[in-house]
Amino acid sequence: MRRIYESNALRREDGPFTPGEQEESSRPRRNGDGDASRFSRLLVPDRLAELSISVSVSTDRETYPVGAPIPFTVTMKNAMPFSVSIPTVSPILWNWSVDGVTEASRVRLRDPPDEPDVFGFTRGERKQFQKRWPQAFRVSDREWEYVSPGTYTIGAGLNVADPVGSGLYDETIVEIVDR
Amino acid sequence: MTLLEVNDLTVRFYTQEGVVTAVDDLSYRIDPGEKFGVVGESGAGKSVTALSLMRLIDNPGRIESGEIMFKGQNLLELSESEIRSIRGNEISMIFQDAQTALNPVYTVGEQISEAIRHHLDYDNEEAKARTIQLLDQVGIPEPETRYSDYPHEFSGGMQQRAVIAMALSCDPDLLLCDEPTTALDVTIETQILDLIESLADETDTAVQLITHDLGVIADVCDRVMVMYAGKPVEKAPVEELYYDPKHPYTVGLMSSIPRVGDRRDRLQTIPGTMPDLVELPPGCSFHPRCPFAEEACTRIEPELVTVDGSATTATADTERAAACLEYTGELEDGLDYEVHVTDGHDPISQSNADHRSEEPDNVH
Ligand SMILES: Nc1ncnc2c1ncn2[C@@H]1O[C@H](COP(=O)(O)OP(=O)(O)OP(=O)(O)O)[C@@H](O)[C@H]1O
Ligand code: SF4
Ligand SMILES: [Mg+2]
Repeated sequence: MRRIYESNALRREDGPFTPGEQEESSRPRRNGDGDASRFSRLLVPDRLAELSISVSVSTDRETYPVGAPIPFTVTMKNAMPFSVSIPTVSPILWNWSVDGVTEASRVRLRDPPDEPDVFGFTRGERKQFQKRWPQAFRVSDREWEYVSPGTYTIGAGLNVADPVGSGLYDETIVEIVDR
Repeated sequence: MTLLEVNDLTVRFYTQEGVVTAVDDLSYRIDPGEKFGVVGESGAGKSVTALSLMRLIDNPGRIESGEIMFKGQNLLELSESEIRSIRGNEISMIFQDAQTALNPVYTVGEQISEAIRHHLDYDNEEAKARTIQLLDQVGIPEPETRYSDYPHEFSGGMQQRAVIAMALSCDPDLLLCDEPTTALDVTIETQILDLIESLADETDTAVQLITHDLGVIADVCDRVMVMYAGKPVEKAPVEELYYDPKHPYTVGLMSSIPRVGDRRDRLQTIPGTMPDLVELPPGCSFHPRCPFAEEACTRIEPELVTVDGSATTATADTERAAACLEYTGELEDGLDYEVHVTDGHDPISQSNADHRSEEPDNVH
């Protein structure tokens, strides 16, 4: 868990009424090496950038008992010896889904700002994210429905216009079985 | 008249790991001169809430929706220069990392004077005189001499007093105190809290006091909001929260109240930890830790509603509200706890009546 005072999401300005400046190096960065990858976008065409990045989704097992949250791992890798950044359609850099339903929610959870962003990867960078699907779909603002046994597809892709077509998407199938 | 009214404030961080909703649909109000407490575990969103009022949240954080009405104007609609003139002047803040509020290369007096000149248009002489008066007011001995000291020449407690003097230098209407005593030892903690309280009373400044510690809230505040995982889970006048807590999380906090200053593992009596805000569990965010959780709690998210039986959706003005399915009639077995408040020799007992009752104050 990150805390606001330890991050660079807190505006620190000169003057007595904002918290003082922190050591630059102690502030975590969000997007690979930030400015450097932004710069490389000028040099690497989008198509090449897309080809550089691979996405994979995996689970430890193929079957899970009904009711047990399903942990899955999303791995993204930049195969290139230089930094690469992928323009995204909003500040949401990537998405996961179950049976094509984003974040397993049948309702729109949020209205992300309508602003493009970039997802940066340093050279050779591998990013790995652990997620858990609780075996439920959100069906309204305040309600979830747990699923029955069957097969389900867990997918993950970068938040670009056509993640599948751009090769920035992967999926895996799990089976949920009666205990 | 309301001084501050926050309506449906939502703040998100767009991180690589996912979207973090640090403040989720939060509403509350503070009246002039009132002391309002915000309590909750680490990561609950207390600091992000306060920093949002000062418009100090930066990328990848975004104040995504809601309004912050201060003296009738929406702070979220002000220009950068307009908000600057409010910050430090009408609303000031004692930051959680208060040490960084003092610049080590200027004298303490010079820094406070600068703030006064900047906001109040005083000349040098007037600003210095006012600073010395403030240093005296916050209990710094020999203020004329200490005016020319550098921050490192002050002890931790003295530094915090200077920070308070600076925060109060422009006579703000609202003072945001973000855990103002975490870095200090026990006796100093009490002194600093007393100081904030008495200065606020004298100048009729409203205070929003953020802490982990319900004991501190009890000493200082009029009303309280309890936060869990970015959401308000209970709002109440202080005495009501103590004698008749309505949310199981509040009950958990109560059974772990240390006396002010007692730094033993706070909140350790609630087993488990707060979920990561990038990945909240379905239903009630508190269900993995709640001793009363039922099946419904894993699929329905409780709304913050009034607790009088009508289950009216709470607004900024609602005095008493809780977010638990008990109050929307969706809990089968109900809540079952007793609160014993021991006030010196005088144990007062309050039971959450309708069900079979369990023994002591510690529900777990
Ligand atoms: N820069 C950031 N990037 C991502 N998430 C953040 C960032 N800063 C804060 N958060 C999220 O916001 C949540 C609330 O943080 P906040 O600092 O407001 O907590 P708090 O209640 O003040 O905790 P504490 O008692 O430890 O000060 C955290 O749980 C974290 O998930
Ligand atoms: S809704 Fe359920 S889990 Fe949440 S606080 Fe109430 S009883 Fe506990
Ligand atoms: Mg904090």
